[in-house]
Amino acid sequence: MSRLPEPITYLEAISDGLREEMRRDESVFVLGEDVGAYGGAFKVTKGFLEEFGERRVIDTVLGEAAIIGAAMGSAIVGMRPVAEMQFADFVTNGFNQLVNNVAKFHYRTNIAVPMVLRLPSGGGIRGGPFHSTNPEAWFFHVPGLKLVAPSTPADAKGLIKAAIRDPDPVLYFEHKYLYRHSKGEVPDGDVVVPIGKAEVKRSGSDIAVVTYGTGVHWALEAAEIMAKDGVQVEVLDLRSLLPLDKQAIIGSVRKTGKVLILHEDTLTGGVGAEVAAIIAQEAFEYLDGPVRRLASLDTPVPYAPTLEDYFLPNTQKVVDALKILGAY
Amino acid sequence: MSKIDVVMPQLGESLTEGTIIKWHKKPGEKVKKDETLLEISTDKVDSEIPAPASGVVTKILFPEQKTVEVRTVIAEIETDEDSAVVVLGPAPAAAKQPAKGPAPPPPAPVAAQRPVSAPAPGRFYSPLVLTIAREEGIPMAELEQIPGTGEGGRVSKKDLQSYLEQRKQGAPAAPARSAPPSQPAQPAQPAGRAAPRIESTLKHVDSGELAAKYPPPKYEILQMSNVLLKMSEHMMKSVQTSPHVWGVHECDMTRVDTARRRNAESFERREGFKLTFMPFICDAIVKALKQFPLVNSSIEGDKIILKKMINLGIAVATENGLIVPVIKDADEKNFTGLGRAINDLGTRARTKKLTPAEIEGGTFTITNYGVFGTVIGVPIINQPQVAFLGTGSIEKRAVVINDGIAVRSIGYFTLGFDHRIVDGALGGSFLETVVKLLENFDDNQVV
Amino acid sequence: MATLTRTKSRLSKRRAIPRGSPDGGVTNADLLKLYYFMLETREFEDTINRLYQQGKIVGGAYSGRGNEATAVGSAYALGPEDYIFPLHRDLGAHRVRGQTVENLMLQYLGRATGMARGRDGTGHYADPEKRIYGNISHLGAMVPVAVGVALASVLRNGRSAVMTYIGDGGVNVGEVHEALAMASVMHLPLILIIENNQYAYSTPVSKQHNVERLSDRAIGYGIPGVTIDGTDVLAVHRVSREAVDRARRGGGPSIIETVTMRMRGHAAHDTAWYVPKKLLQRWEKEDPIEKFERVITAKGLLPKEKKKTIMLEIKNAVEDAARKALEEPYPPGEQAAEGVYANP
Repeated sequence: MSRLPEPITYLEAISDGLREEMRRDESVFVLGEDVGAYGGAFKVTKGFLEEFGERRVIDTVLGEAAIIGAAMGSAIVGMRPVAEMQFADFVTNGFNQLVNNVAKFHYRTNIAVPMVLRLPSGGGIRGGPFHSTNPEAWFFHVPGLKLVAPSTPADAKGLIKAAIRDPDPVLYFEHKYLYRHSKGEVPDGDVVVPIGKAEVKRSGSDIAVVTYGTGVHWALEAAEIMAKDGVQVEVLDLRSLLPLDKQAIIGSVRKTGKVLILHEDTLTGGVGAEVAAIIAQEAFEYLDGPVRRLASLDTPVPYAPTLEDYFLPNTQKVVDALKILGAY
Repeated sequence: MSKIDVVMPQLGESLTEGTIIKWHKKPGEKVKKDETLLEISTDKVDSEIPAPASGVVTKILFPEQKTVEVRTVIAEIETDEDSAVVVLGPAPAAAKQPAKGPAPPPPAPVAAQRPVSAPAPGRFYSPLVLTIAREEGIPMAELEQIPGTGEGGRVSKKDLQSYLEQRKQGAPAAPARSAPPSQPAQPAQPAGRAAPRIESTLKHVDSGELAAKYPPPKYEILQMSNVLLKMSEHMMKSVQTSPHVWGVHECDMTRVDTARRRNAESFERREGFKLTFMPFICDAIVKALKQFPLVNSSIEGDKIILKKMINLGIAVATENGLIVPVIKDADEKNFTGLGRAINDLGTRARTKKLTPAEIEGGTFTITNYGVFGTVIGVPIINQPQVAFLGTGSIEKRAVVINDGIAVRSIGYFTLGFDHRIVDGALGGSFLETVVKLLENFDDNQVV
Repeated sequence: MATLTRTKSRLSKRRAIPRGSPDGGVTNADLLKLYYFMLETREFEDTINRLYQQGKIVGGAYSGRGNEATAVGSAYALGPEDYIFPLHRDLGAHRVRGQTVENLMLQYLGRATGMARGRDGTGHYADPEKRIYGNISHLGAMVPVAVGVALASVLRNGRSAVMTYIGDGGVNVGEVHEALAMASVMHLPLILIIENNQYAYSTPVSKQHNVERLSDRAIGYGIPGVTIDGTDVLAVHRVSREAVDRARRGGGPSIIETVTMRMRGHAAHDTAWYVPKKLLQRWEKEDPIEKFERVITAKGLLPKEKKKTIMLEIKNAVEDAARKALEEPYPPGEQAAEGVYANP
């Protein structure tokens, strides 16, 4: 497997993955607001209308319920729609379609709903309360959906492919901050990252950080800093939130005995709470310290830079938390 | 490939030499890391020394029976492993004070940094630490001795792993500073044990002057082991140093016996070992020593050194001789803690797994010769202490209570004391205090 | 804004609706079928109601009494390539589309061999072969999905029409509006039938809408809308045919408002005490089955004997299905954990 000569951005990786899938399978099509002529609010689908035409790149009305419902309708009769919410925050307008129609359909009828819903999520971009949400926790609780959240370009490309090929509905959380801030090498060729498999992004034996999305980047930076003091931090990138890779989580806890769960989403009832419960139940005897979590404040995402910076985790906060846990 | 020097370990502070008793490997033989390479004797105890690395033994530099100074190179191993001079035995730093003097680099850095703190009562052990302890066969009493650098002084995974490392590389048992008691003491178990046969562990001497003077089959000559040599030396010295006086008191142990029998099952189920009289007796002694600090002291010239800690030595008979492991800070332990410590030290004394620190620093000693059937004993003081309590067998006897005859469990306790500072009044009061504590024991107490 | 190019479909001559023909191109055989299905609907629902009163059906039981003509007439206008998304008072539509009485009984009774395998009840099932996609309890939520199916047909150059239903209350739900907005601007082959049966639970239509004609909302979408007598099965059929043909040839969506009366309560537990008795009495005279009976009797298609035979056939079929279904087991409890994902 050869590597591309240069690293590409997370955004380019998603674009590439989507494009490759649309070339590979005619039933794959894209729909959403401003995805066609405009190339998408974030330019993920730039050039797609020109290449694939208006039957495969559809500019829809403004209406998340219609977009999600229509995606489902086309999926149950055999197409593979990739619908986009312009900002993850707007998914709430289509919440009913997602949780009552999409999620429950296979359970009730044994008919697959092979659709993907792309959700540009996350903060750190001064977007304020309605353009910065990480909504995964709402849907984490809905059986019937699958959730993925890549942190690197390679994972972004591999997971969009996996999501499209999966017969179940997949929510794809792409982080807006990472679009251009995450650059990396992406393997050439048709490489699919399996859904439900975490990846150890950095191996360590003293403390583990279980995280996803922007958390992976903070954790890796913190691990570099901690290494200078001789503390080896393991960073486990969940990559998939539903299903969670329980085995990998428990493996990292067994290896280290101390675990910090980290995510950008707010603290209470976030995905991290479930990870903590799993660890407490299934890795109890391997714990040498309390299971700790670090996440954003339990507030809406604030707008002013000083407020948002206080709201969010960051590398220094991760280092501080690791030091406290390490000293236990 | 690199060469590793094997040096004579310093198995206790202030030790200056050790004697090679037996080599387990010859030059040219392969040896695995942690496999026994040789046996040495220092002071009075033999220790097995594990090889510091895997490889081939290339040189044996001193023969058996040779005594060499500590840190002398005594053998060489050629190994694949990447290592320089590796020291054997627990780092001296594992003892109470931080390593002083030119100690060889300790294999594990952690324990060297802090003084060993007494295990705090109610120290927290995390699930992982307990899991590892269970897997490595470390009983709670031993766990409680491990220094903790975690929050609140707790033993963290790292602390436990360092301890295990040290234990592997270190000597299983270390020499005691103090000598054994005058009579073969027993393990702290209720009656019935025969004394171990020391003769079987001694070497035969077949040649030399004595062999000619005392030929077989009428005679057999045995080489006194270092343990015996040290014991004889110590006993002679003790008798020459301290003017011994002994007082015997009768103790009605009925209540204690009742409590012991009542709690036997639940105690054993909980702790994994039998409940004997020893914890009861030690508990009473500790309390009494607090009231009579002079009994817990030593003498230097014309000064009395009062000791603020109570380190109880419990005499244990092993197949190699007597050994007196010490319960440090016994006054900080509750009943159960004493029980565990007694059981743990006794077990490890017999399996040669004591550390040097555990045989040093006693301030008072107890011996239980009652297990052998002795009713009244007359112990020789364990220098440099000034008193020694011996307990005889506890039997049912007819006694007079309130002008009637009753059947009670009676034992005779002997206090041997140094009349340079402890006179009959003091000795008698102290022992009476111990006796009264035991006679008035609340047998409804749950232990 | 980019729009989809309209697909032109060729209609076969046989299917073309002659302009102005009052019956939408139905034969005598068709007339009897229409009658059969409406009568059977009533018998089936009466049986369901009885079973419910006997405690043999859990959850709820909904009656479409008064709606038979709408359900049957509209569904009858569809062909094998078309899709239908019925609502809870459109039982007759399922039968028109080929669903068996036995299957429906098993489904309503939540049995293991029902189409939803006990995971959902009433008409909440999907039968892709017959292209029937039942609704969910959130009224209006299925309309965007119907739009998606219509979209898929167009993207694949198909000629399928998608017929879906909503009530006078449900039509106010936002999802319906979004769906119509999308369908109309993209000219998708959707037919929305607004079943105005005067009541949404206890809320009369006068409290739902500020207009007389619910089909007027079609103006807002730039699509055709008509209001018709929902108790006249032939009228329903004719207008439905027009809408279906329009959809198939790329003419985009239509709205058909069928005006009827909900003759029973919202569900079996509801006595509908809030409905004025006079209103019910008036509508009783408009009973769709009785009205149609008169029409076909006048045509000589329903002699007494024939009527008896038909009724007996229906009674036996429904009774039989009920009896068989009652003997079938519920699915074993452990199965509850299965089937959440197609690819677990």
